[in-house]
Amino acid sequence: MGVMKIGHVNLRVLDMAAARNHYENIIGLIVTDEDEAGNLYFKGWDEWDKYSVILSPSDHAGMDHVAYKVETDADLDTFTKSIEAYGIAVEQLPAGVLIDCGRAIRFQLPSGHTMCLFAEKTFVGKSTGDKNPAPWPLDVKGVGAHWLDHCLLVCPLDPENQINTIADNVNFLSKCLGFRLTEQALVGPDEDIQAVAFLTVTNTPHDIAFVPGPTAGFHHASFFLPNWGDILRSADIMAMNKVKIDVTPTRHGITRGETIYFFDPSGNRNETFAGLGYLATPDMPVITWTEEEVPRGIFYHSGELNPAFTEVYT
Amino acid sequence: MKIEQTLKNHNITILDTNEIFKCSENDHLLVGMRSLGKKGIPSGCHGGGCGVCKVKIHSDKNNYKTLSMSRAHISKEDEDNGVFLACRVFPLGDIELNVIGKIKRKCINGSKNFVFNY
Ligand code: FES
Ligand SMILES: [Fe+2]
Repeated sequence: MGVMKIGHVNLRVLDMAAARNHYENIIGLIVTDEDEAGNLYFKGWDEWDKYSVILSPSDHAGMDHVAYKVETDADLDTFTKSIEAYGIAVEQLPAGVLIDCGRAIRFQLPSGHTMCLFAEKTFVGKSTGDKNPAPWPLDVKGVGAHWLDHCLLVCPLDPENQINTIADNVNFLSKCLGFRLTEQALVGPDEDIQAVAFLTVTNTPHDIAFVPGPTAGFHHASFFLPNWGDILRSADIMAMNKVKIDVTPTRHGITRGETIYFFDPSGNRNETFAGLGYLATPDMPVITWTEEEVPRGIFYHSGELNPAFTEVYT
Repeated sequence: MKIEQTLKNHNITILDTNEIFKCSENDHLLVGMRSLGKKGIPSGCHGGGCGVCKVKIHSDKNNYKTLSMSRAHISKEDEDNGVFLACRVFPLGDIELNVIGKIKRKCINGSKNFVFNY
């Protein structure tokens, strides 16, 4: 039992046609459905389930919710109990409320972000199939992202008023949902303010992460590519298409990931992310970054934070 | 022979810093500004989503056109007052503006290095 993996992110976009072009032709996701409300559903070519990204038309940008897939239907009852016992209200969603999913539960993280858990989503498979598969399909578009890898959320932090929703999220996700803290930054004069946190439920260094900000928001959704060469090619494709790149290819100290950050046409940040980093097993110690080295943790080569990276979000 | 239409450049004046840059009708104000190495308006997502590039435009409404931008940052009333996100404004004539958006930064008490925005 337990949380298995990230299921999907639901992002709000201002211009559906521009957003569709970005996620379909540049990131290279496959459109799998469109509903009456105008929401578009996408999956990476290397994902089995029907969708990992929902785009919803809206008058403002940002994330509506993030959903994780649990292993069994009964997990939804177990988690309902543990989340309610923790003091957080849980809403029961009948099958189909999350389109093409079985029943789901919905609740708010201590930071105010909406999270859903579901156990079943329509299986559509990969074009390479599950019998003697080719290593990759020939018809991928754009960057050809494999899958939605993780998301990073901006969480309210105000130590002078005893508010630290990064630490609150870590506590909640570890106690109630079985996430494991892999890396953190401890800052402040006493090096005791948990200002950055990376957590996993799989064997990758992170499935969700938190950074501080004045208000809750969406920092980025990240899509997996296998290697550094793909990251370079991905940056080339973005430049050819005049996608606004936030950070050109570099490496993170935290997670060791190789990365590019860029924005979708509504200003939601995306990342293409390569490399496993390391195998994050439950027996590893938590890796800690000190205040002086946080910039290097984020951008390993420059060791400097780019103001737009930490201060711009939707 | 096809004659390529030349795009007009317009003068954009940032009143706060007295910077002037030229911006083509095809580019939003931040592309025009950044491609000339100017930095007077904060630059973020370039998609009308993050709100850091908020400006007040003093020029006539006929001197620019806009694309959809986030209601979380620009209200109807803002629009009526010429307040927009610079990355969603394309010039049709000269523009004078003031910068409203700013990137807010605060340090944790007693901590020198931690520069996240909160
Ligand atoms: S730069 Fe983000 S709204 Fe203009
Ligand atoms: Fe990331």
